[in-house]
Amino acid sequence: MNQINNQSLAGGLYRSAPIILLFISVLNEFDFNNLEFKYFSFNFSYILIFYFSLKRNESLGYTYVFIAGLFNDVVMGTPIGISSFSYLLLCGAAAYLRNITLRPSLIKDWVFFLLTILVVNSFYFILLNFFFNHETNFLNQLFNILFTFLLYFFFSYLFTFFDKTILGSYNVR
Amino acid sequence: MESSRDDFVIAIRSAFLKRGTQQRFSLLTLILVSVIFLVLDSFNFKVVNYVNIVIKEIVYRSSFIVSGPENFIKNNYSTIHRHFKLYGENQKNINDLENLKSKDLSQQIITLENIKLKKLIDDYFIVNNEVFAKVLIDNKSTFLRSVILNKGSKNNIKLGMIVLDGMYLVGKIVEVNYITSRVLLISDLNSKIPVTLEPGDTQAIMSGSDDGEGVLQYIKDKNLKKSDKDLLVFTSGTGGVFKGGIPIGTIKNENTSADKDKVVNFYKDFSQLKYVKVLSFSKEQAILDQDSRKEVGLIDDKIKDITKDKETLKILLEQKKIADEIRIKIEEENTTLKSMVIKLKNEKINLEKNLKEQTTTNIAKEFIRLDLLHGKKCKKNLFNNLYKKGSAKYINCVLKKGLKKQ
Repeated sequence: MNQINNQSLAGGLYRSAPIILLFISVLNEFDFNNLEFKYFSFNFSYILIFYFSLKRNESLGYTYVFIAGLFNDVVMGTPIGISSFSYLLLCGAAAYLRNITLRPSLIKDWVFFLLTILVVNSFYFILLNFFFNHETNFLNQLFNILFTFLLYFFFSYLFTFFDKTILGSYNVR
Repeated sequence: MESSRDDFVIAIRSAFLKRGTQQRFSLLTLILVSVIFLVLDSFNFKVVNYVNIVIKEIVYRSSFIVSGPENFIKNNYSTIHRHFKLYGENQKNINDLENLKSKDLSQQIITLENIKLKKLIDDYFIVNNEVFAKVLIDNKSTFLRSVILNKGSKNNIKLGMIVLDGMYLVGKIVEVNYITSRVLLISDLNSKIPVTLEPGDTQAIMSGSDDGEGVLQYIKDKNLKKSDKDLLVFTSGTGGVFKGGIPIGTIKNENTSADKDKVVNFYKDFSQLKYVKVLSFSKEQAILDQDSRKEVGLIDDKIKDITKDKETLKILLEQKKIADEIRIKIEEENTTLKSMVIKLKNEKINLEKNLKEQTTTNIAKEFIRLDLLHGKKCKKNLFNNLYKKGSAKYINCVLKKGLKKQ
């Protein structure tokens, strides 16, 4: 009985890992979006949401993503609802890609991710600049998009590795 | 062609409208809710504002807890780092303290004179609300450089209050919740502050930049006054948002020409803020009433006292300087005299040695002369029983010019 409980607890943790990671990355002061390096920054939340929406969508409930977006807005001081909107657009794009894909390929996912973040960030900056009069440095944002795109490849491998080797055994159970 | 469009529509519909096994709402519903939030927020809708405040209170506290482990590591690292630098800093602090002590009195006089003059032109502000707050979250968003404080409207924090770290400007309050508030840092792009540059009394507007520095705007094509020292940047008080004279930072003297960006280096590192002071100022009443005059009189007395102290200190410092000079001179003389004594002692020893040698030589000469004259009287031969030549008794006998009869 005890073993079953342990298994269900670990399995639950495994299933909720992406959403826990998302909430930690949103609530934590340490922000990959601002690493104190000139130009180098990336949006970890985008990578996380897109990857898990695509590969393991049952672990990333849309309501949780919506709430994480609201939390992110509050922590970052951006207008409330804007991050939720971006995150949900990412989820939608990932769901669309999942629906049309017969043979998954990392390169195709990667290129589609670039197109998606370009569109999502365009919406983000348009809303921020034209509706809320927030000044932004577009060069920095461009580098942010570039590094987010480049690092998707790396994180994709990392998440797959964790899925397959360390945590994969729970799928079997 | 037709079927490809159908596929696209089906895929989109499935992605945005279909609810997954564990999804309570469809994606489209949540996107619409986000848009409604955004629109209502842009119109400052009251209900959204309340929801906003509730979320903020929860998130700020949660964020503080979630950031706990990271802050723990960061603080420990910083403590260890500080320990390594302790000795050097201590030496530097001792030197700085010596310098600052001597400047302190002059500064007190200037401050009091400044207060007096400001009162005379009716521009003297006094602090009417002061709250100390802890920095709860220091989140460096790319869109907003701000920090969250653990004090809110419950502690009389109001919108627009000035935030200082020590005496240096940090930012102003832009958002007040019940037990928290948000400070927009002066390094933020959206922060525009009227400033004065000294020397030269140049007026400008300072904005934040992406590098966490300040940049002067609206004087881009102007050469600033040439100076050997860095230019000092203060709030000018124009517009009435900030009180004038709050120090902000410096502009390096090589950045003062027209072709260069005027970058302001802040006195404070905003990533290291821990406790801050939130203030609001109000104007003091005009000087015409009796109390104010009395106060000015008191300030004058204070100035006199401090001036007197300063004079005394100056005299004492002069005396100390003279005493130091005399001491050094005496020490030098002492050293010279010591070396002279050693030299004389050596000379004396040499002279004594020479004298001894001379005496010995003289005795030898005398002996030779007397030996020629009186040697026979002392020398031993077959007929007498006197002294053997060369023996001590013989020498003695020769020096006495022969044997003396008893």
